[in-house]
Amino acid sequence: MANNDKRIGEALAVAACGLLGAAAPSASRAAEPGSGWDVDTAFLFYGESDGRVKDASVSALAIRDYGDERKLSLDMTLDTLTGASPNGAIASDLPQTFTSPSGRSTYTTPAGEIPLDSSFHDTRVALNASWSQPFARLYSVDAGLGFSSEIDYQHLGLNAGITRDFNQRNTTASFSVAYGFDTVKPVGGVPAPFAAMGDAVGEDDEGNASGQAGSNQDKKVLDVLAGFSQVLGRHSVLRVNYSYSDSSGYLTDPYKVLTVVDPVTGEPVLRTPPPGVEGPGGIYLFEHRPDSRRRQGLYTELRQDFSGNVLQLGYRYSTDDWGIDSHTLEGRLRFPLGESGYLEPHLRYYTQTAASFYRYSLANGAPLPEFASADARLADMDAYTVGVKYGHQTPQGNEWSARLEYYEQTAKAPAETLIGNQPGTVQMPDFSAVILQFSYHFKL
Amino acid sequence: MTGKQALLILIAGSSLAGCANLGVKPWEREVLARDDMQLDAQPLDTAIDDHIYFSKEGTSGGRGFGGGGCGCN
Amino acid sequence: MLASRLIASTRVLCLAVCMPFLSGAFASQPSLDLSQFRGKVVVVDFWASWCKPCRQSIPWLNQLRARYAAQELVIIGVNVDADRAEADRFQREVPIDFDVVYDPQGALATQFKVQGMPSTFVFDRAGKLAATQLGFNEKHRQQHESEIQSLLSREHS
Repeated sequence: MANNDKRIGEALAVAACGLLGAAAPSASRAAEPGSGWDVDTAFLFYGESDGRVKDASVSALAIRDYGDERKLSLDMTLDTLTGASPNGAIASDLPQTFTSPSGRSTYTTPAGEIPLDSSFHDTRVALNASWSQPFARLYSVDAGLGFSSEIDYQHLGLNAGITRDFNQRNTTASFSVAYGFDTVKPVGGVPAPFAAMGDAVGEDDEGNASGQAGSNQDKKVLDVLAGFSQVLGRHSVLRVNYSYSDSSGYLTDPYKVLTVVDPVTGEPVLRTPPPGVEGPGGIYLFEHRPDSRRRQGLYTELRQDFSGNVLQLGYRYSTDDWGIDSHTLEGRLRFPLGESGYLEPHLRYYTQTAASFYRYSLANGAPLPEFASADARLADMDAYTVGVKYGHQTPQGNEWSARLEYYEQTAKAPAETLIGNQPGTVQMPDFSAVILQFSYHFKL
Repeated sequence: MTGKQALLILIAGSSLAGCANLGVKPWEREVLARDDMQLDAQPLDTAIDDHIYFSKEGTSGGRGFGGGGCGCN
Repeated sequence: MLASRLIASTRVLCLAVCMPFLSGAFASQPSLDLSQFRGKVVVVDFWASWCKPCRQSIPWLNQLRARYAAQELVIIGVNVDADRAEADRFQREVPIDFDVVYDPQGALATQFKVQGMPSTFVFDRAGKLAATQLGFNEKHRQQHESEIQSLLSREHS
């Protein structure tokens, strides 16, 4: 699939590590030994406002307990993506024309609107397998493999971890490592850094509108997680995780561009394609990000029971060498409803600072920076989520649940990245999204 | 190592040191053993959320791991 | 020899004596008088409804009781659920063929210094603590059974 929006393979490299606790299945989730598989399934619908991204997916997680805490965990996700994403160019008073990534056609954005590229429809499949088992009475080890594939992205990952209990199992220390190897094969080829978006080459040719730097690139990600959980009392447990992530290789979004603007007005510089050829109506340069990114995070979570109601509070701080610092605060409160149901409202707040190389646009005639991206996901940003989940347990001990969430994201371009009259006319591709998920958890 | 990095490690490390004597007796884990008290209680929800926020924001991951629970075996 | 047996007897007597002392203060406290089982091999197993490995350890203990009751094996389960209803619900799913003593405040668990769940304490025919099993797993099942068999085969001396 598509642009970085959907760079799900990367998500998996991180999610594999982030899921090291879940991928290495815990005693609580697995079936009674020998009684077969414990299966969790989910159907997800994700839809953004204004004709933007829509995603439908199905995932399943199956855990089998082989007795004595030895567990196999398999999970699979299939998802399809449609809809439009911002291509990084800014809105203008005039309509703007862009060449699509394949190079075979063009698309036009009406005046006053943020340019969106809607040419991506993609299907992704992801598979993960992991094994965990005890090692001496107080230790547990786990190892896993992950794979995902979509039209322009492939991911392969390995992970391994160890946990040890202390203090009559009141304290658990864990350490895990994940390594991912990803290949990016963008539609239309890999653009050279800051190469100008070219004219469309027409239906007959194999699109190569941008492929001046070859057809594919790699990326490697190393993730390390050191965790610690502590029982605080009969009704509460605390977790603290430190994470370190080192990505290297091709970290640029091959589909995103920056608009070249007039340094005085801040308006896009106009361009006329050669006669008989369709192409961009402005100067749009493909973005270029550093080839390495080091990130550290600290995550802490508290689970507290209040007579059968469970409060979950989490806070994550993250900082990296791209200049993106973020804070995430999240809370859930689960309370029983009737004999076998529960209701769980959820709130999440997220804020981040912009990457040092984030630019709203580039000034014509000014020297090019070493790195630049107009991807709003790298800008200053605030986002919040509000949602609720309802679950119900059947007499057989299976559970179905439904979750509805509303997400709103507001990005902001740092003032110093604005040129000319832009401060009065900045338009960021803010959006809201609705998330709807149905799940069924059962034992085979 | 930057000041920020040192601070992070210090926070993580001091959490480790400070809590060594907290906890409950092995037979007092009835609440901690409940499914809804597990730190990885809803793995699919967590994976789905992580994936959505990773795709739409600039930060990802960090959550992982086990502990808590019934403390059995 | 005599001295160690005296010490062992004292320990068991203490259980018999101290338990009522502890339980005297609260009418609902459990008592576990092991002296009545002198001459028999006694297995005391601490279990709870929320303890997943107990779903394997209890059927195993049921099997032991069926196999060795004739050789004077006594099994006593001590339930540590704070909520009696949960213990009852568990027993409807996993039948228990041996006697159960209820210890909701954990007084017996404290007395026995239970280190983890489940915990099994095996006393020989002389009333002396012969083995402690912490946790339950299939791997050690055979070994534990052999230990009990060897204790059963020893004459009460």
